[in-house]
Amino acid sequence: MPQNRRLILAHLWVAFSVFVLAAALGVWQMWVRSPLAAPQDTPARYYQSVTGHGVSMAYVLTTFFIMGFGYFTAETALKTPLPSARWAWAGFWTALAGVAMTVAAILSGQASVLYTFYPPMTATPWFYVGLVLVVVGSWIWVAVMLVAMARFKRANPGAPVPLAMYATVANAIMWLWTTAGVSAEILFQILPAVFGWTQTIDVGLSRTLFSWTLHAIVYFWLFPAYIAFYTMAPRAAGGRLYSDTMGRLSFVLFLLYSLPVGMHHLFMDPEHSTGFKFIQMSLTALVSIPTLLTVFTISASMELAGRLRGGKGLFGWIKALPWERPMVLATGLAFFMLWFGGGGGLINMSYGMNAMVHNTAWVTAHFHLIFGGTVVIMYFAIAYEIWPSLTGRAPLSVATQRLQLWLWAIGMMVMTLPWHYLGLQGQWRRVASFNYADPRIGPWGPLVIVSLAGGVLLLVSAVMFVMNLLPRRAQVRLPEQGYSFALAVHPPQRVPAALNGFTVWNVLVAILMLVAYGFPILQFFIGNSPQAVIHPLTGG
Amino acid sequence: MTEQPTGGRERDRWGFAAAMVVAGVLLFSVVMGLIVLPVLQAPNAGIDPWTAICRAVGLKAGSPAQPQPPVSATAAPVSQVRWTPATLKILAAADPRPGAALAQAVCSACHGEAGLSPSTDFPHLSGQSGAAIYKQLSDFRSGARFNAQMTPVAKKLTDEQLAQIAAYYGSFSRRAAALGPRYGIGDAAISRLANRGDPARALPPCESCHARGVGGPPEAPVLSGQQREYLYRQLRAFAGGQRGNDVYRRMRDVSSHLSDDEMHRLAEFYQGLS
Repeated sequence: MPQNRRLILAHLWVAFSVFVLAAALGVWQMWVRSPLAAPQDTPARYYQSVTGHGVSMAYVLTTFFIMGFGYFTAETALKTPLPSARWAWAGFWTALAGVAMTVAAILSGQASVLYTFYPPMTATPWFYVGLVLVVVGSWIWVAVMLVAMARFKRANPGAPVPLAMYATVANAIMWLWTTAGVSAEILFQILPAVFGWTQTIDVGLSRTLFSWTLHAIVYFWLFPAYIAFYTMAPRAAGGRLYSDTMGRLSFVLFLLYSLPVGMHHLFMDPEHSTGFKFIQMSLTALVSIPTLLTVFTISASMELAGRLRGGKGLFGWIKALPWERPMVLATGLAFFMLWFGGGGGLINMSYGMNAMVHNTAWVTAHFHLIFGGTVVIMYFAIAYEIWPSLTGRAPLSVATQRLQLWLWAIGMMVMTLPWHYLGLQGQWRRVASFNYADPRIGPWGPLVIVSLAGGVLLLVSAVMFVMNLLPRRAQVRLPEQGYSFALAVHPPQRVPAALNGFTVWNVLVAILMLVAYGFPILQFFIGNSPQAVIHPLTGG
Repeated sequence: MTEQPTGGRERDRWGFAAAMVVAGVLLFSVVMGLIVLPVLQAPNAGIDPWTAICRAVGLKAGSPAQPQPPVSATAAPVSQVRWTPATLKILAAADPRPGAALAQAVCSACHGEAGLSPSTDFPHLSGQSGAAIYKQLSDFRSGARFNAQMTPVAKKLTDEQLAQIAAYYGSFSRRAAALGPRYGIGDAAISRLANRGDPARALPPCESCHARGVGGPPEAPVLSGQQREYLYRQLRAFAGGQRGNDVYRRMRDVSSHLSDDEMHRLAEFYQGLS
């Protein structure tokens, strides 16, 4: 049983409480975009809500969940208490104070700049300072994770770091690299502008620095899902992980190829040349390798489990899997959504095809499907999986957990498929209202209503999720128990040092970043880069 | 992080293989992106291969990012105010104290103490943004906007003095912001027009530029609390073409889509409860 249960639960509860509120905002936003009359539907409210929804889902849900899950993994996989619970709590309170500041800023209406900031718009300083505190809190988490792994290696020379911990530390290191971009943007560009020290801002540079962060952060969110695929799902299915090495390889490839690729968010931007966009597109294509490695390895692990359970023939093993278990069901649903979301992603990352979908609803539909679908459904499954060992209570009903997962997957498909289609029809993103009386866009209306219906299902599922986790009197108390991660078919006795640490990979990331971002960032400092007038949203 | 030597040769092998794969991928994308594709596509763009490579690297501006010839607008009257870093610096550095003295001596006779006008003939200046006041004073001075009383006054002032007056009146805007907006109530249709616009007539919401601190064009004035007579006169002047110092014709376009009744009601809405 993990030692710091309160610490882990505190993180997860912050994540999930914010998540439910943000889900409600999301439904309201789709309502505003639909032809149905929504309350409070002014553009000002819409952008305020989009900011709240984005910040909550992208920064609060993810960061707090990943921190809490990381502490859980460190304690259960390494079977030792955290190096410093005090520091971990310090990180929690720092990040929570940051969340409070950011939420207050958004509620004041002076921070409707969306979670991606979009300079030259600037919000009240509280918004950025709050987010910086969230990041600082997460850096403390990174330090705790690094020290935990280093101590394990010192205490067990030559022993492989357990895969779950190795992956968590890969994510922590990636997060350090990731946050460098946005931190530089906030500290050196946005805060001087917000405090009135400068009257202009170099938007090209700020977009470039944000792109540094923008793709890798998505993989930061994705890591827990993959950790669950590799280290939880095979055991839940009653089998073993097909290959431990494949897992390590996938995680280091994510570390390697999630960073020097962010410019695929800037394909249509004028501040970069075609050559560097092409380089980053090529590197983006490589991200599909760890994804496909994972699909192969997890399918193989599931097949092993299915055959052990008596499944026969080409597909009989699929039927033989214990689908009644939430972790297995969530993995299946996540993979199903991954096909659609991943396919859409391949279109987005193709320089040419990107022009068709750029700034359309397709993009928003894509990241909702891949993040809200594949990733968040695994957050649910992880929570269900680890809850008994955190609370010492058995769930009241596994059936309601399954229902919640099904509702989520169905809701996500119902919401995002028409949304993708509308993007191809040219529906804009980041737009508060549509004139459906215009015959050119009138036919979009019914499809947006379908998306809205999907959104309502998602909200119902989100509320159910929290209800499923709340403690009840009727729950059966469990004896103190630990948590075991899935074993590999051939548990590693010794692994190559490169796959037991990160030195080689950090050097390679540095080289890749230098080539991919070196000149594109340097160009803003040589030559006359145009500046934009700041547009403060703070009155005065 | 220190790595345990769990077999030096093995690590070398893994490190070497990883480095080779990464180097191969990098080499491929650099050669393709910076050399092969630009050279192959150069003839389509009508440029020589060397120029194409320079563009692909970003050393030369590619089309359409070629430097554009400077715009020389000849249509008059047109606003001469441009929100360049230089203009913004003048505004940011302006001292409101001499501005206060000037305002006492020159402006307060019509616009009232602290910019609260006692007459419906003159707009309130209190609570207005400094950038809006600077823009209008500059336009009066340059002739982009004409008013029999304001034009001669503005022509006597230097650019620095304009900025000082703007800074003085702008210094009230924080207090006004703290009071919050005061909109008229009871006219739901006009409130909707102000907050949501009317997509069928391509009318944007007034509030997307004119609400305080909305991040719109710097010169957009705050409307909340302004005199309804003044607001109505300006809407009529924009619609009738007597006033034309709005950047990109924004207000001339908007007001030409409004009915006379809507202009009255919008002015009423923005004057609010005074």
